Amino acid sequence: MARNELILTDVTKRFGGLTAVDALSLTVKEGMIYGLIGPNGAGKTTAFNNITGIYKPEEGSIKWRGEEIRGLTPYQIVDRGIVRTFQTIRLFSQMSVAENIMSGRHIKSSQKWWHGIIHTPGSKRDELANWRKVEEQLDFFKLSEYAATATCSLPYGLQRRVEMARAMAVEPTLLILDEPAAGLNDKETLELLQTIYQIRDKGVTVLLIEHDMDMVMELTDYLTVINFGKKIAEGTPAEIQKNPAVIEAYLGSEDDDDE
Amino acid sequence: MNTVQRFGPPLALLVMAFLPFALNPRWQAVAITFLIFSVVALSQDIVLGKSGMFNMGQALFFGMGAYTTAILNAKFGWPMLATIPLAILIPALFGIILAGPIVHLRGDYLLVTTIGFNIVFVQVLQNDLGGLTGGPNGIFGLDPLSLFGTNLTSQVAVYYFAFAVLLLTLWVMRNLEKSKPGRAMHYLREDQLAAESIGINTRVYKIFAFGLGAGIAGLAGTVYATQYAAVSPEGFDFIQSVLFFAIVIVGGSSVSGVLLGVFIMFVLPEIFREFATWRFFIFGFAMILAMILRPRGIVPATFGKIPKFLIKGDSHGA
Amino acid sequence: MDIFLQQLANGLTIGSMFALVALGYTMVYGVMRLINFAHGDMVAASAFVGLTIYTQVMGEAASLGAVIAIFLLTAVSMAVIGVILERLAYRPLREAPRLSAVVSALGASLVIQNGVMLIWGPRMRIFPELVPQVYWEFGGVVISMIQVIILVLSLVLMIALYLFVEKTRMGAAIRAASIDQDAARLMGIDVNRVIALIFIIGSSLGAVGGLFIGLYYRGITFNMGWQYGLYAFIAAIIGGIGNIPGAMLGGMLLGLFNAFIAGYVSSTWADAFTFILLIGILIVRPTGILGERVAEKV
Repeated sequence: MARNELILTDVTKRFGGLTAVDALSLTVKEGMIYGLIGPNGAGKTTAFNNITGIYKPEEGSIKWRGEEIRGLTPYQIVDRGIVRTFQTIRLFSQMSVAENIMSGRHIKSSQKWWHGIIHTPGSKRDELANWRKVEEQLDFFKLSEYAATATCSLPYGLQRRVEMARAMAVEPTLLILDEPAAGLNDKETLELLQTIYQIRDKGVTVLLIEHDMDMVMELTDYLTVINFGKKIAEGTPAEIQKNPAVIEAYLGSEDDDDE
Repeated sequence: MNTVQRFGPPLALLVMAFLPFALNPRWQAVAITFLIFSVVALSQDIVLGKSGMFNMGQALFFGMGAYTTAILNAKFGWPMLATIPLAILIPALFGIILAGPIVHLRGDYLLVTTIGFNIVFVQVLQNDLGGLTGGPNGIFGLDPLSLFGTNLTSQVAVYYFAFAVLLLTLWVMRNLEKSKPGRAMHYLREDQLAAESIGINTRVYKIFAFGLGAGIAGLAGTVYATQYAAVSPEGFDFIQSVLFFAIVIVGGSSVSGVLLGVFIMFVLPEIFREFATWRFFIFGFAMILAMILRPRGIVPATFGKIPKFLIKGDSHGA
Repeated sequence: MDIFLQQLANGLTIGSMFALVALGYTMVYGVMRLINFAHGDMVAASAFVGLTIYTQVMGEAASLGAVIAIFLLTAVSMAVIGVILERLAYRPLREAPRLSAVVSALGASLVIQNGVMLIWGPRMRIFPELVPQVYWEFGGVVISMIQVIILVLSLVLMIALYLFVEKTRMGAAIRAASIDQDAARLMGIDVNRVIALIFIIGSSLGAVGGLFIGLYYRGITFNMGWQYGLYAFIAAIIGGIGNIPGAMLGGMLLGLFNAFIAGYVSSTWADAFTFILLIGILIVRPTGILGERVAEKV
């Protein structure tokens, strides 16, 4: 049985004359909390977009559980157990929290297209079972009181939680988080940290982009640092902090949270 | 859920159930038209309101259903009611086939291709393709409804046929809302990328929406053919599609909104006969104003239909 | 061979008219991403306005001077209406979602179309004979003076527009606004002025097109704008929406296609074939022949 590993090999993505991701290779092992960091514009989100099927890389290979997933569409990749959140939060803003989380149950639901026209006892059971799963996520993320509230009326921090709840509702094997702490205050960031640990304890592997260096150093087991689309270093947080190439890349960087 | 929301719809349906006995024949005919066009408009809502696709060719499927019934009855002698399954399936199939190559197009282009399909369809009808479609005059002399051997020629019978079809449509749409495919359509309309990224095969559900909308419109076509005992190309040209499109947007993607839109567009001009020539002129202004003042329609769609056991604490819905 | 040349001549004529109308669509779409559904109806209205100017203002005079005056007055009137249309139906919706603007455009179309009907009646009217019915024959092919005038004048106008857009400052402003309205605004371009100008130019060209339609077909009806406008929009798409030379090329190609189908296949199927062509192009090469000049936000 293939291990739950994500292996990128020489992944390259070009937009016209611009090489956004340049021969990127990395391996995310099962159970890790893996960080992808680098200065702004380094190509991190683009790399994620390649993994999750929004872009197709020109060169290279992306293997998940031994299977090549390069070129698959986003929903096909979710079907294989990889789910992501977005840097800019892409919730279904007019819809309620519960409905948003329910979208995560789509791929787990056994209903067929005809159940949109006529219900069967089986489809009704499926509905109930999935709403129960939504309830679990609401409880886990402490969103129960907002179940029926439209997400557009929630404060930013809560919206972030809804997005994660939605992603977790899919019961992913690999969770990809794009700047999950962006816009959060210190208290919220601490809560986020705890949540990610809990998620890892459930057996989910986590791959994340983050700019909050304190959080990254505390949270991650392993890091890859990229700049201008190329990997410039990889290693444990302790190793990365001492790496001269990394320090140089970040000189003048605005993102270190100094207390 | 206040009193109006809770009792309004069932009350309205109750009124509609007894309406024909309160109306003279002319108004019965108007009521039947209201019912038929409501069904088409609701089918348009599935594609445009719920799935967010700029479909401006719904009259095509409406016409396909009507002509299927007409051809099967006039040329092959099928009883009217027996034509229903094909009058649903054939448009639905076409809906799926036509949608396939175009659902990925961006809004404006999708819009123009659907208009194109509609225009091609009407030309096919007018040119009497295969000797089946009857040319510019259409097909007439269709049989009345017959049930268990007896002919039901009264207009009241047609009314109840139309009413039954509306009830069926409302029932299907209610099932749709509380189902995986129904929710998928909402998600892909709100944010297609997010929907894809959470595991929804948006292409499949867009095509499904088209097919379902087409099938329902086709069913309405059968009722139309029954009402007039005839079909002709003018009833299905793309201007009709424009009207159905406008009704959904101006009325809003909700049952009351759509019905209100149909009422304003088709019943009101009957009440104010003097206004008939001004109908489109006024409607045009109404459309412009509606978009400026109420972009989501007069009665917009609402969300938050979640099971009661999830609603805890003090929150009060969307 | 005769049929071919005849349809060629007809096609080029019709194509020129399509091109003039298509330019209005493409310019508006280029800057505002909006299908100005009302444009076709404006074109139709132009014919009626021209008719009225002829009968009421010119006292039915058909001298060269009078004809020029009719063209100018019609163009000016339609330009004014075009600017008013933009102010009332489109400007309030600049920030609104695309769908709202589409519906507003449809509403405007209904208003103009039915406005024409309410003023001039629902029946077909005959457009005055402003151009003498002179025909020339070249070995089996008949060309009328009207066709020549349409061809020549359209060509002149299209060249003029092309030069304007490519060589002048205002033209550069239009091109900039087509690519990125916000950036253009930040560069100091008065986008409102640009949009007003687009509507003035588009409506004027459309007015000329409408008068040509009246001259060529002689019979005008209040609802002829929709179909014609749709064709012209297709022409704009074929050439690449937002692309001005593209609209000209698209219009010509569409006119030729339509004429050849009518001549060789059947006129009752001409519409259907044209739309099938359009749908095919949209599916296979949505950016049109010369490519879109419209930046798409990813």
